[in-house]
Amino acid sequence: MSKSHSIEIKEFPLWERLKAKSVPLSFDMEITARCNCNCRHCYINLPVGDRDAQARELSLAEIGDIAQQAVNLGAMWCLITGGEPLLRPDFAEIYTGLRRKGLLVSVFTNATLINEDHIALFKKHPPRDIEITVYGVTRETYERITRRPGTFDKFMRGMNLLLESGVRIRLKAMAIQSNLAEQDAIADFCRAYTKDFYRFDPQLHLRFDGNRECNKDIIAERLTPEQIIALEQADKERMRAMQKNCDTLIKDEFAHFGCDHLFHCGAGNGSFNVSYDGMFRLCSSLWAPPTLYDLRRGKLDDAWNHFVPKVRDMRSTRQEFLKTCRVCPLVNLCLWCPAHAHLETGEMDGATPYFCAVAKLRATTLRKTE
Amino acid sequence: MATQLSLDAVCACSENVVARTIEGEVVLIPLIAGIGDEEDELYTLNETGQAIWQKLDGKKTLKEVAVSLAEVFDGPASELEADVLGFASELTKRGILVAK
Repeated sequence: MSKSHSIEIKEFPLWERLKAKSVPLSFDMEITARCNCNCRHCYINLPVGDRDAQARELSLAEIGDIAQQAVNLGAMWCLITGGEPLLRPDFAEIYTGLRRKGLLVSVFTNATLINEDHIALFKKHPPRDIEITVYGVTRETYERITRRPGTFDKFMRGMNLLLESGVRIRLKAMAIQSNLAEQDAIADFCRAYTKDFYRFDPQLHLRFDGNRECNKDIIAERLTPEQIIALEQADKERMRAMQKNCDTLIKDEFAHFGCDHLFHCGAGNGSFNVSYDGMFRLCSSLWAPPTLYDLRRGKLDDAWNHFVPKVRDMRSTRQEFLKTCRVCPLVNLCLWCPAHAHLETGEMDGATPYFCAVAKLRATTLRKTE
Repeated sequence: MATQLSLDAVCACSENVVARTIEGEVVLIPLIAGIGDEEDELYTLNETGQAIWQKLDGKKTLKEVAVSLAEVFDGPASELEADVLGFASELTKRGILVAK
């Protein structure tokens, strides 16, 4: 009998055991908040030349140290993201450093900066996958969103280099006003290359830095609830999945009725995020100050084992919230969560009428098609 | 063509593989392409494999590994030699172990 077993990652039997033990199985490292694009809908893109943002970025050594702490706690997966992570001149060192710690590494990129050196790196040290967002499949649409001339050609070149090299890529899309007319073409384009994966996100949340001018752009790009439902209905696969899970998506007798805890989501359960300047968060969108832990001042073990339980124990006393969102049977159809509520209203128990309207229309549609 | 291993060989984990012990299990994670038959794979070891792996320190010969295991398992080293040689050969072929 063979004494070694090769196992596909998705079938790895340790996953369930690790989840049950509250191990931080995966984490996201935002290695920069800067981006070479200036997308209308983006929540994190600071300019390439933002010296303050650059100065605050974690160094290669700091990233390695945090990653080692994560590995010591049992982490297996790491997502390198940004901003645009390939802006970092030490990207290759960061990437191989994480791989050498025994982490399975994924990368989110816009692909516009991919060059032959990156291809050689990814061919030699294959990533778990590389996810690329397709903003449009025509130059006009793509660059209307990125607001950077020349980026469409760079995106196509980068994506083709990756495809030709055999590196595993996955394509995804955002559905926003600026590319709404092109959604069918974007879906066809993405599915042609990554049939098993394509997904689109039709809802935008606001920026992490609270930039008011940029938030105005994001709000202007948001689809109406009717547009979102029309897109979702046109995607038969997505609708089938929603209908199949209707019973769990709409809970008439909500399990947490009477509870005043803020967090009933998965934030801090098995994963965490680290910002470009070393802030530990329970999820990528959670930026409320009382929920942040500075890893430049403390250790990951303390953040994970002591700080996370405190955050997850936070409660609300706001009656308006406790009587509405807290007990809403549509919570699983809604983008409301403490993190997004904070981005929208400055309060983790604030109401978010836009997300609420989308959720209600989704529910009506699902009930009609049951 | 790969050279056949003998019991005089000394083997160690390839620098292209990271070995992690998670929840008491040894997990082998390839760092480069071409290790294993398929992409997207990790390796785990059964109980015997783990016992052998932990003795492969890059200093002992495979014969010495078998002797060392015999002390643990309280059995004759000659019976363990085939197991150790088979294990080391399999992992060397896959590029997980290297013969020094």
